[in-house]
Amino acid sequence: MITTTRRTALSMFAATALGLVAGAALTPAAQAADAIKIGILSLTSHSPSIIAEGKGYFDEQDLDVEFVSFQAAQPMAVAIASGDIDFGMTAISGGLISLAEKGAVRIIGGALQETPEIEGQKILVSKAAHDAGVTSPDKLAGRSFGVTTQGSSFHYMAHKIADKAGFDRSELKITPMQKVPAVIAALKSGQIDAWSIVPNIAGALTKGPEVVEIGKISDYIDNYQVTTVFTSTRNVTDNRELVTRFLAGLSKGIDDYNAAFVDKTMGADDVAAITGMVHQYVYADQPIDKAGPRIAAGAMRINSGARLNVASVEDQLKWFQSEKLAPEGVTMEDLVDTSFVEAY
Amino acid sequence: MSLDAADLEQPRRATADLQQNRHVAAVKPVPFRGGGFVHTRHRFVALFLFVVLVILWEIGSQTGFISNIALPAPSEAAGAMADLFETGMIWKHLSASLYRLVIGWSVGSLIGVTVGLAVALFSIVRAGVSPFVSALFPIPKIALLPLFIIWFGIGEGSKVATILFGVFFPTVIATYGGVDNVDRNLIRMGQSFGLSWLSIVRKIIIPGALPAILSGFRISASIAIILLVAAEMIGAEFGIGAYILMAGALFATDQLIAGVAMLSVLGLTVGWLISRAERWLLRWRA
Repeated sequence: MITTTRRTALSMFAATALGLVAGAALTPAAQAADAIKIGILSLTSHSPSIIAEGKGYFDEQDLDVEFVSFQAAQPMAVAIASGDIDFGMTAISGGLISLAEKGAVRIIGGALQETPEIEGQKILVSKAAHDAGVTSPDKLAGRSFGVTTQGSSFHYMAHKIADKAGFDRSELKITPMQKVPAVIAALKSGQIDAWSIVPNIAGALTKGPEVVEIGKISDYIDNYQVTTVFTSTRNVTDNRELVTRFLAGLSKGIDDYNAAFVDKTMGADDVAAITGMVHQYVYADQPIDKAGPRIAAGAMRINSGARLNVASVEDQLKWFQSEKLAPEGVTMEDLVDTSFVEAY
Repeated sequence: MSLDAADLEQPRRATADLQQNRHVAAVKPVPFRGGGFVHTRHRFVALFLFVVLVILWEIGSQTGFISNIALPAPSEAAGAMADLFETGMIWKHLSASLYRLVIGWSVGSLIGVTVGLAVALFSIVRAGVSPFVSALFPIPKIALLPLFIIWFGIGEGSKVATILFGVFFPTVIATYGGVDNVDRNLIRMGQSFGLSWLSIVRKIIIPGALPAILSGFRISASIAIILLVAAEMIGAEFGIGAYILMAGALFATDQLIAGVAMLSVLGLTVGWLISRAERWLLRWRA
C-alpha cells in the first residue's frame, strides 16, 4: 500500500515545479529568435532601427526586437551598462566615455554625421543677442551658450566654435539647462544668448521672431560624427555574432532612411509607408499629416553601413579629456571597437 | 516651624515593626526599578560604525565584490574630494551654494515665522491664509522651476527663490503649530495678572512656541539642502548641486559620492548649529 505523507507530497510537488521551470527555460531558447532591446529617443535620427523593425530587416536576421524609449542620451548609456538594453544610438557623452573606461560599453559604429552637402546643425542666437550685435559665431565671445549638461554634445560644439573662431573657450559662459525644452525656453525668452541644434528643431525655432540663425556647425567641426551606435562590452567580446546581425539589420534600415528622407530617391508610396512606421515613435502625439512633414524636414545623413569616422571620435575624446570631463586614462581602444564596420 | 526628628521617626519605626512581625524571615531589599529608557551619551559609536562601514566598503571594492560601476571605492571618492581641494574648486562650489542656502533659508524662515505668528495670533489671518498654506505646501517646488526661471531669471534669483519657497511653508506650519500648543493655563495666568497683549506674546507665547519653531528649523534646513540640487539644475556653473549633477551626467561616480558627502557634511553642520541654538535659546527650560 502506498502511503503519501505531507512531506513526500511536498517534495514531489517541488520536483515537478523544478522540472517545469527547467523545461520552460530550455525549450523556447532552442526555437525562438534572439530577443534584443534597443534604446531609442523620440527623434528622427533614431528612425533606422524603427524602419528596420517595421520592414522586417531584424526578423531576417532572426532578431526579436523590443524598443525602449529614453528622454536623454546619458541614461541610455547607463541602461546598457546595467544590462537593461542591448543597443543604443546617441551622441558621445562624458557618461558614455566614463562607462567605456569602466569596461561596460563600446562604440561599434557611426550614425548621424555632418556632411558638407546636406544641411546640418545650426548655430542659433536669441533676438536680443542678435540685436546686440552677435550676427556671426565669431562674435560669441563673452556670451552665454545653452547646453543640456556639462559634457554633452552641445558643450563640445560650443568649444569647437570658440576654437575655430579664435577666442578662448572660457569666454563662452556654458549654461546647463538639463533638458532640450528648457534650453529652447531660455533661448526664446533671451535668458541665454546662443545654442546649436539639429536642423529640424532649428528650422521650427527660426520661423518665430525670437530666434535667429547665425551659422552652421559644419563650418566649425569637420565631418562631425554626431551620433554613434554602441553596445555592452559583454556583447562585443562574447556575442560578436549577435552584434554583426544587429548591424546588418540596422544597415538596411539606414539605407531606406537615407533613400526616403536624405537623398529622396524613394517613391512617394514607400516614403509614406516609412513615415508611418517612424510616426509610431516620433511625434506620436501629433496626427500623421502634421507629423509627416516634421519627420521629413531637416533629415541629416546617417552613415551607410554604420561607417564610423574614427578621427572625429578621437577629436571628441581629446576634447573631453582636455576639459577634464572624462578620465585621462581612456584610450580609443577602450572606447571603440572598429572590427564590425568600416572605419575611416 | 520646626519638626522634631523624633516625631517623624516614631511612626516609621512602628510600620517597620509591623512588617517584621508579619514575615520575619523575608526581608528583601526592593531593587530600584526606575532606570532604563534614559539616553546615555556614547560619543564614538557612530564614528566607529562609520569607519567600519567604510572599511568594509573599501574591501568590497578592492576585491571586486562590489563592481566599480555599481559603486566607486571610498578611496576613489576621497581622491575626487582631494582633487577639489587641490584645485581650490571646493571653495567656489561651497561659497556659491552657501550663499544660496543662507539667503534662501534665512529670508524664508524670517517670512515664515512672521506669517506663522500672524496666522496663530489673528483669527482673520488664520481663516484667510492657512488654506493657502495647505494648498501650496505640497506643490513640489521643482515642478515650478520653469516658472521661477521666467519670474526670477536663470541667475541667482530663481535658485534663491526655490529654496526660499521650500523653507517658507514648513516654517509657517511649525510656527503656528507651536503657538497653538502653548499651555493655555500660562496664558490665562498672564491675563489674570493683568499683562498686556504684547507682553503675553513676548513673554509667554513666543518662548513657549520656540521649541516647536526650532524643530521646524531643523526640518526646513534639511529641505533647503535637498532643494539645493534642484535649484542648481538650471544655469548654475558652480555649486555643490551643480557639481553633483555634472558628476551624474558624466557618470563620474567618484565625484558623485564626493559631492553627496559634501551635502551630508553640510547637513551635519547645520544640525549641530541648530542644537547649539536650541541649547542657548531654550536654556530657561533647564
